[in-house]
Amino acid sequence: MRIESREINGIVILDLQGKLMGGPDAETFKTTFHKLLEKGQKRVVVNLHGVDWINSTGMGILISGYTTMRRGGGDLRLLHVSDRIQSILYVTKLNLIFKCFDSEDEAVASFLDG
Amino acid sequence: MAGTVALEFPSEYKFLNIVDLVCGEVVQNLCDNREISNEIAISVIEAVTNAIEHGNCECSDQNVRIAFICKEDRLCVEVEDCGKGFDYQCYLQNIPDPANVYHLRGRGIFIMKNMMDSLKFEMVPGHGMKVRLEKALKPKAGGEVRKD
Repeated sequence: MRIESREINGIVILDLQGKLMGGPDAETFKTTFHKLLEKGQKRVVVNLHGVDWINSTGMGILISGYTTMRRGGGDLRLLHVSDRIQSILYVTKLNLIFKCFDSEDEAVASFLDG
Repeated sequence: MAGTVALEFPSEYKFLNIVDLVCGEVVQNLCDNREISNEIAISVIEAVTNAIEHGNCECSDQNVRIAFICKEDRLCVEVEDCGKGFDYQCYLQNIPDPANVYHLRGRGIFIMKNMMDSLKFEMVPGHGMKVRLEKALKPKAGGEVRKD
């Protein structure tokens, strides 16, 4: 899993590339989110466009990121969720937690609109 | 297309990608329903992840075996590890319960149970745990329509 970070209007976009399936990915994510909070960057959009697939361990990584950001007073939202990832969100009811967007503009605007 | 496609590989996560590719090819030849294809692929990845992580404890000298058994109207997938087995019943907890929804682990079996028509666990003497997943390749009449 490769993570690249960029910023639009103060909102951090994390572009993920590869498969999100646990192992070293978990530590990479944990470090990434804690560093963001240390820098006061609390509003994060995770872009899943480059994610081929995800398993339940990978879903746990996203939940961990979500709870880390929420506890730090921020939020984490998902962008470009594929049908396959949507199926997992739906069956585990995580679709009720994660706000998902199909366009980057909408995801960024969702933070700016409050 | 009837027949069996089988793979055997060391317990390393990098092989999940090969499993996913083979699964995609097998299912594509049997089924043109995207939701069913996705549910099979997701469940197969969960079963193999469990076999690597919990069954073989990530020991790369222990193999995972997977067989895609293609039938006329359904696909059966068997995933076998070399482990001692585990109490899978405790993982059938009600994950969508709001009290559990933030848990980081323990969703794999729940996902398989909900996405496949049949999920069975069996200890194979002298080998390990065998998980057998089965799913019809056509949508059920009057099946639930997803409202996302």
